[in-house]
Amino acid sequence: MADEPLVLGIETSCDETGVGVVRGHTLLADALASSVEEHARFGGVVPEVASRAHLEAIVPTMNRALTEAGVTLADVDAIAVTSGPGLAGALLVGVAAAKGYAVAADKPVYGVNHLAAHVAVDTLEHGPLPEPAIALLVSGGHSSLLLVDDLAQGVTPLGATIDDAAGEAFDKVARLLGLPFPGGPYIDREAHAGDPAAIAFPRGLTAAKDLAAHRYDFSFSGLKTAVARWVERRQRAGEPIPVADVAASFQEAVCDVLIGKALDACRSSGVQTLVIGGGVAANSRLRAMAEQRAAKYDIRVRTPRPKLCTDNGAMVAALGSHLVAAGVAPSRLDLPADSAMPLTTVSVTGEE
Amino acid sequence: MNPGRPIRFTLPTVADTHAFGRRLAGLLRAGDLLLLTGPLGAGKTALAQGIGAGLGVAGAVTSPTFVIARVHQPDPVRGGSVPLVHADAYRLGAASDPRAELDDLDLDASVDEAVTVVEWGEGLAEQLVAEHLWVRIDRRDDDTRLVDLEPVGGDWSARLTGTPGFIDS
Repeated sequence: MADEPLVLGIETSCDETGVGVVRGHTLLADALASSVEEHARFGGVVPEVASRAHLEAIVPTMNRALTEAGVTLADVDAIAVTSGPGLAGALLVGVAAAKGYAVAADKPVYGVNHLAAHVAVDTLEHGPLPEPAIALLVSGGHSSLLLVDDLAQGVTPLGATIDDAAGEAFDKVARLLGLPFPGGPYIDREAHAGDPAAIAFPRGLTAAKDLAAHRYDFSFSGLKTAVARWVERRQRAGEPIPVADVAASFQEAVCDVLIGKALDACRSSGVQTLVIGGGVAANSRLRAMAEQRAAKYDIRVRTPRPKLCTDNGAMVAALGSHLVAAGVAPSRLDLPADSAMPLTTVSVTGEE
Repeated sequence: MNPGRPIRFTLPTVADTHAFGRRLAGLLRAGDLLLLTGPLGAGKTALAQGIGAGLGVAGAVTSPTFVIARVHQPDPVRGGSVPLVHADAYRLGAASDPRAELDDLDLDASVDEAVTVVEWGEGLAEQLVAEHLWVRIDRRDDDTRLVDLEPVGGDWSARLTGTPGFIDS
């Protein structure tokens, strides 16, 4: 519909340069450039390299997105940009670009929270989000459970990881098993041929003594160590490592805890909708287990297609569109990048 | 810079690792650099959590791998007065002093005024020229952790051996 907001979204918080275009809840374009290959030479994401790659990619990615959507900058109603959390230097490139385009085309700019955008992206797939909803955000840098009362105004953090993020555990276990980076897709693939019950790996923070203080928190460090110990023992004994079984059993332990706690949060707060976002939401076992277990409690699981789960510009545009529709004031032009932006801030307020 | 003689500690549980970090924090002051090395799952982040608790800083000390570095400001309520910079060297690349690269990240704290704890990859520390305390953690089969503190330059040696109760408690 023509009266729905046409919003451009810019994402540069880590190693993906993304520009998306959204009208209302309809995805028009999702252009992406990644500097993963450049980082592979260094064996990890190097901040300087990421910033320079964003700088080189931002204008071509913007042009591709506009062409793909069949619109011009003059057509858009607002520009949304991830202003945090993320790598400071990387965020700055996106924020500076957003301001430049906003000034040039005289458009309002919204500095938005990367994690809230991971929740909002689902509206492109499944329409408006019923509120309240519980959101499980799982990626290489985050593992959080949130209560989404009002996506435009603020979300309530219920819990988060106390050590490693879920995606980080996937990466580190993949490295142990000799699988490439990023580890998530490779573990997922290996696990298909493995037995998830082959090895009983620990479920962090699920014992009764931990639940009092950490009911909705996660811990994946102990699991990672348990996998390392198991693999080392095999290696010392000169036995082959059953990679598929280790991958399946590890993945089962991660998913079991994530889904168990997410459904507990839904049930205890009487919420019927669970949204799962972030790169780990692309994991096939996590998606299947969520559907299967939620059905027992009549809870509806909403998970965007895998391409929208990982970082992209469309998710930022989706949140921007939601903010414009809700009448939220845009940010000011001196909008900062905030590498430690708290979850309670959905968009940087434009009020004095 | 000639390293001093390492001092070894045996920590049976993760609670002991935390407690050891809190005790170690008592020796630390602004401008210090600690390098934590050890295999995957050795307990580097657990030790950093203990140091954070001992320094009385705000915010949850979690794995810095994704964000590269996190600044924890001192929390006066917890008796804190010095910020903690907690970084993962895996993404910082090889450098003669990781603090120079950390400064480039434009953190909300100057490394001269903070305690900097870097979770360091194996085999990188040879290139390091700055004075520092090298903390090597190893995990034994029974899950006990062995921690070797190796003073490198500065007054680290004197601080480790001259602080009453640190080695014997």
